[in-house]
Amino acid sequence: MNIIEIKNLTHRFSDNFIGLDRVSLNIRDGEFVVIAGANGSGKTTLLRHLNGLLFPDDGTVFVSGFSVVQKPKQARQCVGMVFQDADTQIVGETVYDDVAFGPENLCLGEPEIQKRVEEALKAVGLWEFRYHRPHLLSGGEKRRLAIAGVLTMKPRILVFDEPFSNLDYPGIRQVLSQMLKLHRQGHTMLVTTHDLEKVIAHAQRLIIMQKGQLVRDGLPGDLVEEVEQFGIRRPCSFEFKGEFISWLN
Amino acid sequence: MAELTGAFYARENSFLHRIDVRFKMIFLVVMSITTIQAGFAGLFILFITIVAAVIFARISIKGLIREIKYFFIFLVFIFVARTLSTPGEKLFQIGFFSVMLLVTEQGLISGALVCFRLFLVVLLGYLFIWSTYSSQVRVAVAWFLRPVPLIPEKKVATMLSLLMRFLPLILQEAKETTDAQRARCIENRKNPVYRFMKLAVPMLRRIFLRADDLVLAMEARGYSENRTLPRLYSKKSDWLSLAFIVILSLMMTQI
Repeated sequence: MNIIEIKNLTHRFSDNFIGLDRVSLNIRDGEFVVIAGANGSGKTTLLRHLNGLLFPDDGTVFVSGFSVVQKPKQARQCVGMVFQDADTQIVGETVYDDVAFGPENLCLGEPEIQKRVEEALKAVGLWEFRYHRPHLLSGGEKRRLAIAGVLTMKPRILVFDEPFSNLDYPGIRQVLSQMLKLHRQGHTMLVTTHDLEKVIAHAQRLIIMQKGQLVRDGLPGDLVEEVEQFGIRRPCSFEFKGEFISWLN
Repeated sequence: MAELTGAFYARENSFLHRIDVRFKMIFLVVMSITTIQAGFAGLFILFITIVAAVIFARISIKGLIREIKYFFIFLVFIFVARTLSTPGEKLFQIGFFSVMLLVTEQGLISGALVCFRLFLVVLLGYLFIWSTYSSQVRVAVAWFLRPVPLIPEKKVATMLSLLMRFLPLILQEAKETTDAQRARCIENRKNPVYRFMKLAVPMLRRIFLRADDLVLAMEARGYSENRTLPRLYSKKSDWLSLAFIVILSLMMTQI
């Protein structure tokens, strides 16, 4: 069953630059999809159409069977988005407050908010930090906090925009294992990156974008030979050993 | 970064922490107004009360002094200015070149009184910040604003919360921009206006970009004005504390 259905999606920016050009794409429920492309290829613009942060100039976007244009609030609840810069995603003065921000917006009762915050913080291993100030957390912890922030809204789809940028090796491993755990729990995962190395071993599908168009869509193993022509570096593990190796090994 | 935002909430279970934040805000306003009316005797009573509160609430006195040490420099300036600018009975004169400065008895008393008042208000403010969870402050502000027409109290509460969240980020941006410019020898330029412009423009641009990203992040998490705010509950002990503060305030002004 398709959880995301995009048909002929076109988006023009205010300066008439075409961010997305007739993109059509279906994502199945529970899939782990990596969307790769060079800077400016349209990856982030595509993701922002999934939860109504941007609206199409042409085409349609359906999430869980409803139109994002008609029901942006439901889309935001259904699609949890973790931004590239975790710092700007944090709105609370403490870790607890930040995670409670989403359920407060859903106008849930206080006991339900507390329950969800506790569940989410325990799921990402930050419950002990609940009274800490977020800006004092490490890069990996901030990214996990951002994940907890979207988990409280109980989304079915999780969207990660360059989740490993500015992270050190332990931070990358923390975030990656968190993502895999969420995928095992049944979430549909969409991850954008220009660096396949860190996540490709776990992807079930690879989509390549270039100049606002979807240029390749298939199994990672089938596409990896040709990624370099789209400005994406071929993973070292594949280069030297001919296979994808997880960063968690 | 922690040193940039020194005074902050400390998680404890003292009686100060347990008082409803709305009552604490009322206490702060009442006591600040009372200090304007009170003389030395009244201020001394308040000082003793604050010291008792500091001891009972297990606040580190050393830490407290460290937090407000720079404030003492400010107090010295006020004391000197007040002493030299208040007319009255002459105690002695200080001469600098052709300028003669007159130190009066009234000036000394007035300077000491003003400094004592300011010192106590700062101590009260520190006790408030130290013992109050910042998200409770925004809830209390929303509660006080609720009866005021035309003011969207939940929006104001969110703005307050964002302001507190953004202050360390703004300081961080300022530091990063300054460091980047120092690495390119900005110190060789002696014109302060030039240096200010070179700091302010990129810094503001980065802050606005961050604010833009923040708006997107808030929208992605379904931000709306109609949202749940934590509830506040007043207890019997809050009302007893209020009675104590009113009596203390009356005593301070009557002595």
